[in-house]
Amino acid sequence: MTLMSLFQYDFMRRAFIVAIALGIVVPCIGVIVVLKRLSMIGDALAHTSLAGVAGGLLVNINPVLGAGITCIGAAFTIEWIRKKLPQYAEMSTAIVLSAGVGLAGVLSGFIQNATSFNAFLFGSIVAISNAELIAVVAIALLVLILFFLMYQELFYIALDERSATLSGVPINTVNFIFTLLTAVTVAIAARTVGALIVSSMMVLPVACSLQIAKSYRQTVWFSVLFGLSFTLIGLTISFYAALRPGGAIVLTGVCCLLLVFNLKKMVCR
Amino acid sequence: MKIKSLIVLTLCMAMLCLAGCSMKAPEKVSTDDSPLKVIASFYPMADFADKIGGDNIAVQCLVSLGMEAHDWEPTTADIALLEEADLFIINGAGMEPWATDLLQTLSNKNLVVVNTSEGLDLLENDESHDGHDHGDQDPHVWLNPLYAKQQMSMIMEALKELDATNSKTYQDNYEKWANKCEELDQNYRETLSPLNHKDILVSHQAFGYLCNAYGLNQIAIEGLSPEGEPNPARMAEIIDFMNKHQTKVIFYEENTSSKVAEAIARDTGAKTMVLNPLESLSQEQLDAGEDYFSIMTANLKGLQEALSD
Ligand SMILES: [Zn+2]
Repeated sequence: MTLMSLFQYDFMRRAFIVAIALGIVVPCIGVIVVLKRLSMIGDALAHTSLAGVAGGLLVNINPVLGAGITCIGAAFTIEWIRKKLPQYAEMSTAIVLSAGVGLAGVLSGFIQNATSFNAFLFGSIVAISNAELIAVVAIALLVLILFFLMYQELFYIALDERSATLSGVPINTVNFIFTLLTAVTVAIAARTVGALIVSSMMVLPVACSLQIAKSYRQTVWFSVLFGLSFTLIGLTISFYAALRPGGAIVLTGVCCLLLVFNLKKMVCR
Repeated sequence: MKIKSLIVLTLCMAMLCLAGCSMKAPEKVSTDDSPLKVIASFYPMADFADKIGGDNIAVQCLVSLGMEAHDWEPTTADIALLEEADLFIINGAGMEPWATDLLQTLSNKNLVVVNTSEGLDLLENDESHDGHDHGDQDPHVWLNPLYAKQQMSMIMEALKELDATNSKTYQDNYEKWANKCEELDQNYRETLSPLNHKDILVSHQAFGYLCNAYGLNQIAIEGLSPEGEPNPARMAEIIDFMNKHQTKVIFYEENTSSKVAEAIARDTGAKTMVLNPLESLSQEQLDAGEDYFSIMTANLKGLQEALSD
C-alpha cells in the first residue's frame, strides 16, 4: 500500500474530513474545559450520551438525536451542580458520569440490536453516512465561529468567574453557550470516534500544549495543532497497521504527551 | 363487630388459599396429559422443535425475538424456566457458550439436554479477523438444510424417549419436515450450481456450512460473531477484493446496522441486500408466518441475484 492508496477510497476521504473537523474543534472546547478544572466533563458527557443512544434505539428515535439531547441535559446538570457546590466542581462531573454509566448500562440491556450500540462505544469513523458528514462539518463550523467570537470572554470565565463578573463579562450567557457547545461537540464526536475516546481527545492535546505554551493564545493554537496531528496521524496509522481508528488516535496522543514531557525535561536541564 | 369481620375475612382468605392449592395439586401430578415443557436456546432450535413436537409440546425460546444470539446471556428468569423444563435443546458447537456453566448450577435433575450438532461434521474456526472469537468451531450448522435435517432427527429421538405414547406423531412430523429439508437442498443445488460467480460478501461469517455445501466462498466483514466496526485496513481489503472480483452485492443482516455495508457500497457501487443467518427473527416476521423454510428460500433468491451475471 502506497501513500496514495490512503485517499483512493471514499470511506477514507470521509474519515479524514471528520478527523480534521474534530481535530480542530474538540481541543478548542478542551482548552476551556481544562482551564475550568473540569477535565472529566468529556468523559461524563460521552457516557451520558450512551444512555441517550440506548434510549433512542429503544423508543425508535434517531440515536444521534437521543445522544445530543441527553448530552445537553447532562451538561446543564453539571453546570447546575457546579454552581451549587462551587468548591467541589470536579464532583459534579463524577456525579453525572456515574448517573450516565448506570442509565446506559440499564437501558442497553433492553436493546435488541447490540451491534449498533457497540458502534457507538467504539465509533464508526470508517462508515460515515452523508447525513453524518454534513452534521459533523456544520456543527464544527458553528462551534468554531462561536468559540472565536467569545474568545476573550471564555478566557475570563475559564480562569476566574468572580473577576470576570467584575470586569463586566456576562458570565451566565457565556457559560450557557459554552455548555451547549460542549454538549453538541461531545455528541458528534462520540458518534464518530466513539464515546470512550472523546474525553482523551479533549484533554490530551491541551495537556501537550500546556507544556510549551506561554500564553492563552498559544495554548489554544498549540492545542489545535496537537489535536489535528493526533487525529490525522492516528487515522493514518490505523489504516496501515489495521488498528481501530479511535484507539490509534488516543495512543498517538499519549505517546506525544510522553515525548513532550521528556523533551521539556531535557531542555530545562 | 370488627373482630368478627376480621375472622370472616381471614377464613375466606384461608379457604381461597386452600382452594388454590388443591386446584394446583392435581395439575402437578398428572404430567402425562400436559404438554412436555421444551426450552430451545435460540430461534432455529425452537422452530425445529415446534415442527417435530406439534401440539404435544410447549416450546419456549430463550433468546427472545430480535435479540442478537451471539451476545446473549441468560437472566435469572431464564434459569427459572430451565428448572421447570423437561427438555432443553441447544445447537452446540460454541453457539451457547453460557450453557455449560448454567447446566451445572441447575437443580433440575430430570432435565434432558440435546446437543443437536452432535455427530455433525463441524468446520474449524480458521478465519478470525478480530482475534476475539467464541470458540474453535463454526456453530452455524443449521444453514445447511441437510444438517438441519440431522438436527431435527436428534430432536425427534429425544422427544420419543421422553414421551413414548406420541412417538408415532413425532416420527411422522419428522419425516414430513425431513422431506422439506431435502427439497430445499435440491433447490439450492439446482439454483446455485449453474451460476458463474461463487464469492459472496457477508457481514458476519455465518455462512460457512452453506457455502461448503454449494461450492460458494464467503468473505466476511466480521468474524464468527458480529463484533462491530472493522478497521480501515480491512475495509480497504474488502473494497479491493470486490473491485477485483466484480462482486455486485454486499449482504448484511436485518437486525444489525447496515452502516459498514453502505460505506463499502459507496466505494464499490455494489448493492446492499439482506441475507438472514436465521439466528433470531423479529415479531413482525413471525406474525407474517415466516419460518426456517421461508427464510432459507428468500436467502436463495438473494444469492441467485447476487451471483448471476
Ligand atoms: Zn452467527
